[in-house]
Amino acid sequence: MEAETLSRLRSGEDGVFSELVREHHRALTALAATVVGVSEAEEVVQNAWLKAHGAIAGFEGRSAIRTWLSRIVINEARMQLRSRKREVFLEDQVSSEGQDPLGDWFNEDGRWRSPPVSWSYDSPEALLMGVDLSGCLDDLLARMPANQRSMLEMRDTSELPFDEICNTLTLSASNARVLLHRARAQVFKLVNHYQETGEC
Amino acid sequence: MLKCRELVGKADQYLDGELLLRERLAIRVHILMCHHCRRYLRQMGALLRAFPHRHDSASDEEVCAVMEHLQQHADKQDEPA
Ligand SMILES: [Zn+2]
Repeated sequence: MEAETLSRLRSGEDGVFSELVREHHRALTALAATVVGVSEAEEVVQNAWLKAHGAIAGFEGRSAIRTWLSRIVINEARMQLRSRKREVFLEDQVSSEGQDPLGDWFNEDGRWRSPPVSWSYDSPEALLMGVDLSGCLDDLLARMPANQRSMLEMRDTSELPFDEICNTLTLSASNARVLLHRARAQVFKLVNHYQETGEC
Repeated sequence: MLKCRELVGKADQYLDGELLLRERLAIRVHILMCHHCRRYLRQMGALLRAFPHRHDSASDEEVCAVMEHLQQHADKQDEPA
């Protein structure tokens, strides 16, 4: 974030704050949903915005604003669970089903059987933005095991540090790695198929 | 030499900057010679950069709902006890 935007935010300009809401609200809602479920995600994020608004003067810009906001959302989500006497429960297990999503891309000898096609995109920011593709991606995420989806939302969409995620989800680092790999590999496969055929 | 399948298995940690120098070098040597893996790493890197931008901006209604909630909260705090 630019220093100027940051200082306007800190000085409490609501116009600047509402732009922040516009940019991050949906991502934060998806993040909250991985912890409390879709039905309570909106409420959690509302409360998180209250906290963020009150604390923005102390935001030093050391981390990305998305990461800072994501931490607040995760805290609110956990408080919500505690107040409902529920816990973040994710299987700290790597189910054997599905194995490695890219397993069939390789020969017995470990070389590529079906290597990825060359992707064309204007910029990485735009890569996932096509209407068709983003719908397919939502479907894929909805079908994914919850622990894989959480890893993807927390690490790659929210850019939270890896060890912080392991603590929040009480996952071992080695299992978290495998879950993240599987989640990313499935998305890679989806995008590759979309690039190759124009559908998903 | 590192096999393509092994490289793909380590690609996440490579892109997250979590590999030891020795492992990073093994990957760099491999992709000098293997254009499939070079492509895989480049495109996976693009995918990771795309992820934070995956969600659309919130609608005016959503933004207003949040800002109104903030306003209500501020009003409540201003009320005399
Ligand atoms: Zn290779």
